Amino acid sequence: MAAPQAYHLFHAPIADHSFSSDKQTLAVARENNVELYQSSGNKFALSDELKGHEKTVTSVDIAPNSGRIVTCSQDRNAYVWEKTPDGWKPTLVLLRINRAATFVRWSPSEQKFAVGSGARVIAVCYFEEENDWWISKHLKKPIRSTITTLAWHPNSVLLAAGSTDSHARVFSSFIKGIDSRPEPSAWGERLPFNTICGEYLNDSAGWIQGVAFSPSGNALAFTGHDSSVTVVYPSAPEQPPRAMLNVSTRLLPLNSLIWNGETEIIAAGHDCEPFRFRGDENGWHLAGSLENKAGDAGGAREESALNMFRQMDLKGQTQADTKLKSTHQNTVNTVRVHEEVNGAVKSFSTSGVDGRVVVWSA
Amino acid sequence: MSQLNYRTINIDALDPESSTNFPMDSLLPASLPQPESASDAANVATQVRQLLRGGDPEGALRTVLDTAPLGGDDRAKEVHLATVIDVLQGIRQGEMTRILEGACSGDGGAERADCLMKYLYKGMSSSAPGSGAQSPRKNVSPQDTGFSQIQARNLGEGGGGQQMSVLLSWHEKLVELAGTGSIVRVMTDRRTV
Repeated sequence: MAAPQAYHLFHAPIADHSFSSDKQTLAVARENNVELYQSSGNKFALSDELKGHEKTVTSVDIAPNSGRIVTCSQDRNAYVWEKTPDGWKPTLVLLRINRAATFVRWSPSEQKFAVGSGARVIAVCYFEEENDWWISKHLKKPIRSTITTLAWHPNSVLLAAGSTDSHARVFSSFIKGIDSRPEPSAWGERLPFNTICGEYLNDSAGWIQGVAFSPSGNALAFTGHDSSVTVVYPSAPEQPPRAMLNVSTRLLPLNSLIWNGETEIIAAGHDCEPFRFRGDENGWHLAGSLENKAGDAGGAREESALNMFRQMDLKGQTQADTKLKSTHQNTVNTVRVHEEVNGAVKSFSTSGVDGRVVVWSA
Repeated sequence: MSQLNYRTINIDALDPESSTNFPMDSLLPASLPQPESASDAANVATQVRQLLRGGDPEGALRTVLDTAPLGGDDRAKEVHLATVIDVLQGIRQGEMTRILEGACSGDGGAERADCLMKYLYKGMSSSAPGSGAQSPRKNVSPQDTGFSQIQARNLGEGGGGQQMSVLLSWHEKLVELAGTGSIVRVMTDRRTV
């Protein structure tokens, strides 16, 4: 396994990051702006800034095919940025929300995107040709609190959302004239807008911080502030799920997760390193960390006696523990798929509070 | 009515959108057991004390954690807390690790560990655990989170300090076994003990 490639961009938290499809451009949400970095050699260099938001940018997503960038912010706005010969041009999206926008993702079809917000709605946005602007329809019921995270089903109609009311939900975001009728699946057959295809709560509750559909779309995983990962296998429309499996871990809470094939999940969060979960319908378990710390730890132990006395002498303490052994030096906020082949992840990227973006081989 | 003081009106109570009106029972899972009364809890207490006297502390700990009145009323929960603390105090320091590993393994072991962690925090937060008649605690946090931050702690004064040290050494052993995740779940879990 190749060592993870860490790009230390700056000393500020990264709320979200997104790579373009050719992996040459990296968009990073930093305070009120989105910074675009261009790959040069084995580094990423700042190439452009998307300025327009008046408050902290909470989420950014680059559409892989069209190259459009969507951003959303605590100033209650979302912009779609398009590249023109004289730079990136923003288009305001009519979100109609009165609280911060928290999370945004393009649908796989790139015809729509969904914006989660603190106003207890999800704005599903699409482009209206006649008026030449992006408008939104609201998913409202039965959300009781802030939406923290969203994930699209491969069919671009179903949308999973995690919320601070501790529920993970699956909605239909079908929009006439934009979407083609989806194939019937275990989630539902007829799917008009705002159909609730599933609503799930863990025994130990906790704010939901990350949701993801499996590559086939037939399973949903979510993680939250109770340090557990839950995987749901739906059975049939309006029926209780075939299986709902919960892995409660001894770790600090996880913030984000992705699927690697149908039998593996990679998640990361407050422990600053990614972890691998494996399983299927019969049960899931924590397989271990993806961080290779064994080498470092061994070296540190060998010289520890000398180091210990030296540190005690110099600093009056046995060890300087300001540096973590993990690649990330602070909480990981976002885990995203970097390269994949038919649902099998070859590499994934993480970003966090430490201002680093790290690309890992899965 | 001309002297109506508008500043004293709790506007949050009138605003259906306010977070203070969040339906907390929407966070309780459907699998919550039936409510138990204080007399049920007292029956469990007798049974557990018998196990403890009979020289089976591991069995006593297992039973007391499996029968936690998650859906019970406050009185039942108080009685059960006293039972749990009795069991914890009845186990010698040297045996803690072995008994804890025994009780938190096998089927439902992780749930027992989480449940014990809840009792440790509850034991450390209540001002007079086990004494029964407790004055209703004043709610200081805006939502009824079950954790109030301002309250008297039972430090010093006779047996209180000793009980605290027992709970702390259990806490240490339990964190070694169940990790920090277990502490986080005490905060998120709405099935309070």
